[in-house]
This record gives sequence, structure tokens and C-alpha cells, in this order.
Amino acid sequence: MKNEKTKTENKSAGAKKQAEMKAGAKTETKPFEVDRRSVYKCVQCGTCRSVCPVFEAVGWESANTRGRMLIIKSLLEGREPSEDVLPSLATCTTCGICAAKCPAGANPPEVVEEARSELVRLGITTEGQEKLLSAVTTTGNSFGESRDRLHWLPDAERSKLPEKSDYIYFVGCFDSYRYPEFAKKTFEVLQRFGVTLLPDENCCASPLLRTGFRPDAEKVMEHNLEQIQKVGAHTIITGCAGCYTTLKNNYPEKLRVISVPEFLGEHLGELKLKRLDLTVSYHDPCHLGRHNEVYDAPREVIKAICELKEMKNIRENSRCCGGGGGVRIGYPDISLELAGKRLEDVPEEVDYIVTSCPLCVRNLRDAGGDIEIIDIIELVAMALE
Amino acid sequence: MDITEELREIVGERFSVSSSELYCYSSDASQVRGAPDYVVRPESTEEVSRIVKLAFEHEIPVTARGAGTGLAGGAVPVQGGIVLDLSGMNRLLEIDLDNLQVVVEPGVIQDTLNDVLKPYGFFFPPNPGSSAMCTIGGMIAYNASGMRCVKYGTTRNYVRDLEVVLADGTVIHTGSKMLKSAAGYDLTQLMIGSEGTLGIVTKAGLKIAPLPKARKLVIAAFENAELAGKAVIKTFSNGVVPSACEILDGVSLQVLKRYDPNLVLPAEGDVILFEVDGTETSAHEAAEQVMEVCSPLALTIKLAESEKEMADIWAARKLVGAAVSRLDPTKTRIYVGEDVGVPMKQIPELLRRVQEISEEFDLPAMKYGHIGDGNLHLALFIDVLNPDEWDRLNKAADKVHMTAIELGGTVSSEHGVGAARGKYMEVQWGPAFEVMRMIKKALDPKGILNPGKLGL
Repeated sequence: MKNEKTKTENKSAGAKKQAEMKAGAKTETKPFEVDRRSVYKCVQCGTCRSVCPVFEAVGWESANTRGRMLIIKSLLEGREPSEDVLPSLATCTTCGICAAKCPAGANPPEVVEEARSELVRLGITTEGQEKLLSAVTTTGNSFGESRDRLHWLPDAERSKLPEKSDYIYFVGCFDSYRYPEFAKKTFEVLQRFGVTLLPDENCCASPLLRTGFRPDAEKVMEHNLEQIQKVGAHTIITGCAGCYTTLKNNYPEKLRVISVPEFLGEHLGELKLKRLDLTVSYHDPCHLGRHNEVYDAPREVIKAICELKEMKNIRENSRCCGGGGGVRIGYPDISLELAGKRLEDVPEEVDYIVTSCPLCVRNLRDAGGDIEIIDIIELVAMALE
Repeated sequence: MDITEELREIVGERFSVSSSELYCYSSDASQVRGAPDYVVRPESTEEVSRIVKLAFEHEIPVTARGAGTGLAGGAVPVQGGIVLDLSGMNRLLEIDLDNLQVVVEPGVIQDTLNDVLKPYGFFFPPNPGSSAMCTIGGMIAYNASGMRCVKYGTTRNYVRDLEVVLADGTVIHTGSKMLKSAAGYDLTQLMIGSEGTLGIVTKAGLKIAPLPKARKLVIAAFENAELAGKAVIKTFSNGVVPSACEILDGVSLQVLKRYDPNLVLPAEGDVILFEVDGTETSAHEAAEQVMEVCSPLALTIKLAESEKEMADIWAARKLVGAAVSRLDPTKTRIYVGEDVGVPMKQIPELLRRVQEISEEFDLPAMKYGHIGDGNLHLALFIDVLNPDEWDRLNKAADKVHMTAIELGGTVSSEHGVGAARGKYMEVQWGPAFEVMRMIKKALDPKGILNPGKLGL
């Protein structure tokens, strides 16, 4: 399989554990275990096989959802976990189209994430996973950037940031370091509504959770949570689909989280957007759409500005951009192939492809194509000018 | 050169001996298990022929596999050897509308073929519940059909020609684009349903049919299965051949409603879904006739009001078999005893006997199927973490199979025999089974093609 890289003796707790075991230290390791009921829901009918985008690119049974569920089942039934399972379990983008289609109601992305956690505990990881872990734990962001996270915000504005607010804009690693212009434009709009920023935001923990580093993720979540509590906000606003689903569904405390398009949709009247002579298409990010059913808000915002021409597969049937689940970093060729496939869904004669997730922007842009891919905030910024 | 190197030379990177990969190829959707020694994903007839020739020389089993959606272990290499994953041979080679035919590779997905044909106004009628994922090659190997069999027949009725790799690697064609031939044995028909035990299909010439202009759906609920069965027989004897005629018991109804709460289905009873097709006028007339014939027997009867209502019911019906867990998350549907068939008139009797078996073994059951062609899909569901339930399940399935044979029926109507039902072949066929053994011996003298299947 392409880009297959594994690393068993690195920095994670699990890797250390395996190194100790290899050195002969007497430690009793709990066998691989995940929620069995979730695994046994799978009746192996193969419905997921027909929709798994990674399988379409790779072609091996182990690279589709049913294969992943089977491999997890085999580990539960006593097969020795080894690096051999990584090309299967580490290539899931957690896009969730399998869960959306599963007649038996299984939730494979959840099972895969749980299995990844177990593999991490047992010291079985890819180099890509270890890279992510090291970046987030040492720098607080998934890129390993040492720059200040709020470098995009002028000092003068920074000093004026309200210490208390009902609303926080959670910027995310991607917008902080790769698309600071998105962060800037988003905050310019949100500031009008009294939204503030966290003084020391860290990665939301999504990359760690998706790739199985739960204990490490918990520390990062705790760090962010403490600050959220200090600001006293009741609502977190984010423009990243990964941050959105993580803050909403994985944080130890129930937070009210809304996406930038939802916030913009709620305030359309106040924004006074002008109509633009454009036709755009919209890409549903998996973690905003399928995982959280935010389908209408971005479309309402777009329609308030210009014409929307839908892609071939939309909403719950939308194709994954290929970036999620650690696949972009671990298996870039597969990731780009998926992005290329997604671009084939774009209708003719559109001026832009709009989306609401910087990871999708990045991956789709990297796949090339003639049509510019923009974040929804850029479209809104154009309509505000 | 050892076999690993030789296989690699033929297919390059499309070869695997990774233990995870081998594990994934050691099952299909049935309970049959068997690990291969090698998996290869050939992409041409030439590659398949070279691999089979190699297997013939080394006397290694070769098991062909499509999407692995089979329910009898047909694609499971129960004696190890090579698995030929043909799902990558998925090109639509020719659309020959003038001859009402298409030529496809075996890995083409049924729904994909129909998506391509739709704009031309044609379709390939056999439609198993797994049409979104199953391959044409698999459909040919198991003579698959589905809900529209009652009017359109099975895969067998649509195959004109097959390119087949024989056990020694020789490539033959079994037919042509001709609609009929009186020259010799019909090898096409011999290959259909032979489950990869006589040869490996690498191309298929298929007949296609014009898409009906209109379809109508009549949904009727009856107090019991006997009355439902009577209604079906009355419908046929009044000259209406429905394009689908499906029965759903009370449990199936509950599962369907759990799967999609918006479905417009009766609250109780044994339900029959009658679909009729044709032109707008003829379909309408046929639907009216079904309503008229069935009304005196039915508790409730109605015509689906919109295309969407109809499409939603069919979409849910197609997946009902796997959806049992939605009723009780601790239960999983296990595909055993799931495909028996009896002469149409015996369906109510079969339903009664199956209910008794389900009670005898204390296993909840869902019963649905193609009442129009006598095919009953029984879904037994168990807690897979409970060994006692597994034991009772297997005993119940055995009894169901024997009951079908006793009623003059078959242990498999459309899913195949595979390794799951081999032991019933002798019982069902008697001396005719010996003829099948002789055919197998003649075409596969070394017994390398999908050994351990069909009870051979």
C-alpha cells in the first residue's frame, strides 16, 4: 500500500510500552478490547464497501469499512495485533458515509477510532500518527508551529480583546497557521457581535482523537476548557469542521458549539450582504455535514449572496475530500486521490467551490483543478466589501 | 520460481499475503470461514488465465470472488489456495442497443450497469437486495435474482454469452449475440449458477430490457399469511403478472418502520407489496385490478401515492434483511436458512412451519420474501455473544432447509449453495446429484476450482 509507514518505538505512551515489553520488562498488557456490541452489529453485507471512498482508491478488501470491522473483530477474537493492521485501520478518513448507509445501524468511524486508541495503547502506530502527536503535545498545534497562535491579530487589537464574553471564536490550527486570512476575516465579522478569542488556544484535540491518542487528547481538551470557563462563554463558534465536531461531541463538558456558517445564517439580516454576480458550488465537510447534520446553514448563507449550483453528491451522500482521520498526513497519495474524485462531482460553469472547513480547502486545493476553492468566510467577505 | 514469485510476476502489486488482507478475504456475508494463502486482483482475462493455469500446474485451489456479498460462503476459500478478486475487472465493454445487449466484465456492479443504461431507456432486470454492491460476475455464478423475478426471471434469462477461463487456463466463449442456438449443449446455462466450480467468468454478454414507462405499487395487509397467499394466487389467475410481489410479516414491518419512520406502511398484519409495471395506462389498469381482486380478502389496501413513496418503500425493503439490529441492538441477523423456496401455493404452509420452528428453538424471526415466486427469506436473529443461541440457530436453520425440501422446494432460490448448504444437495437432488459430480469431474479433473462448494 502507498505511503505505508509505521513506527513502533516512538514517543507515545503505547510505543514506550511496547519498547519496554521488547526489552523484557515485566508489564502485564491488557489485550485489545473495544465495545464488542458495536463491532458485532456488522452483518458483513458489504453495503459500506460500495461507498467507502478509500476502498475505491485502494482496491483491497482491508481498505473498506467491512474489512476494517472484520480486522477489528479478528483482534477481539485473539489475533495478535501488529503493524499489519495499520494499512487498514489507519486509512479510514472517518468520513462516516458507511455509517450513513449501514442498514444495521453500525457506526464504523467510532469503532475505528476506538480500535486506533487500543493500537496506540499497545504501541502500534504509523509515523504520521506519531508526527501529529509530537506536534500537538510539544507546540499545541497540529503543524508543530512554534509561532504565536494569534500572530495574525495586530497587537493593538489583541490588547483590546474582551476578557469576558458570551461568545468565543475558536480559531483552530488550520486557520491559525495555514489560512490566517480566514481567521482574520472571520474575526472581523464576529467582533461586531462582541465575540472574543481564547488567550491561549491549543489544538482542539481532533487530530489526536481521530488517530487514537485519547489520554493525550484529554490534556489538550482540559487546557482549552479551563480557558473557556474563564472567559465565561456560553457559545463557541468555529469555522473548522474538525474543531466543530470535537468541541461539540468529544469535550468532557457539554458545550454549545455552532459553526461559522450557522452563526452567519442567524445574523444574515444584520450583516447587510450585497448580492454578487457569481455561481458557486458547495462541498459538505464530512464532520460538519454527515456527522452533525449541518447542511442548510451554509447553503442559506450562499444563497443570500449568489447562485448555488449543487455538486453531484451532496449532504449525507457527499464525498469525502480525503483529508480527515489522519489520512492526509499518513497517506497523502490516497488523500489526494479522494480529493481528485471529489472534484469530479463539481458541476460545470461555477466560479468557486465553497466549503466550511479549512482542511477540506487545503486538500481540495492540493488536488488541483481549474476552479478556485474558498472558505465560506471569503465569500461573505466579498459580499461585505 | 515459487508460486509467490510467479503470481507476483503476473499481477505485480495486485498480490497480497498480508495476514490482515488474507483475513478480510476469508469470509463473505455468510458464516462460512476459510483463509486463502494468496489474494490476487487480476485485471484482464489473460491474467486470470495465467493464474488458473499456474494453479492447475501446482494443483492449488482457486476461488473467484466479486464483492463478497454472498450469503452461502461461495467466495470463501474453504480449502485455502488463491482468491481471485475480480471486482477490479469492472469495465462496461460494449453497449449494443441495436442487439439489446451489453458486454461487461465480471466486476461491474449491478446498480452501476443500470445507472449507465437508464438514459438509454433500458435496464438489466435481475435485482437482488444487494444490487448497490453485488457484481454481475457473482450474479451469474449464483443465478441471482430478486424482487422482480416473478415477471422478469433470474440472471439465467439474461445471459447470452460468457467468456470463461477453464480449469487448465483455456479461454472459451459459451455463446454469441444470437437470441437462440440449436447447436450443441448450452454451456452458458451450465456455467450460470455453477458457483465458480466449473470455470471463471471473465466477460459476459447480457440481454437488456426496455425500462417500463410506469410502475405502480399496491400495498395490502391481510389478517394472516394464508389469506395473503390466496390473494396472490387470485391475482395471477385474474391474468395480472405483477413485476414484484413481496410478503412482509409483522416483525419485518416493525424493522422497516424503525429503519425509516416515514414509510407509509400498514400498522399490522401480513403485508403484500404488489408492483405492476408497463405504460401509464396499463400499469394503472393492472393496479386497479389487483385492488379489486384483493379487496375482499384484505384488512386494508391502498395504492402508493407518489413515486417517492414507492421508491422509499423499495429502498427500505431491499435492506430489511440487515436492519434487524435496529429493533434490538443486542441482536444480529445471521444469514442461515435464509433463502428456501417452495412452490408458490405452499408458501402459507412454509410460513406456518417456519413460525413453529422459530418457536420451538425460541428464536425471534422475521419473515419476508418473494411470494410471487415461492422464495421466502427467513431472518433469524440472535445475540452473537451467546453460544447457546448459536447452537439453537443452526439447528433451526437445518430444520428449515429440510422443511423446504419436504414441501417440494429448494434449499436456495437465489443465494446459492456455497459451503453453507452443500450437505442438502444429495437430499434435494437424489441421483441427479451424481450427474453434477460427473460434470464437475469432466471440467475440473484436479478439483482446483472453488473446492468444497455445492456439496461436490
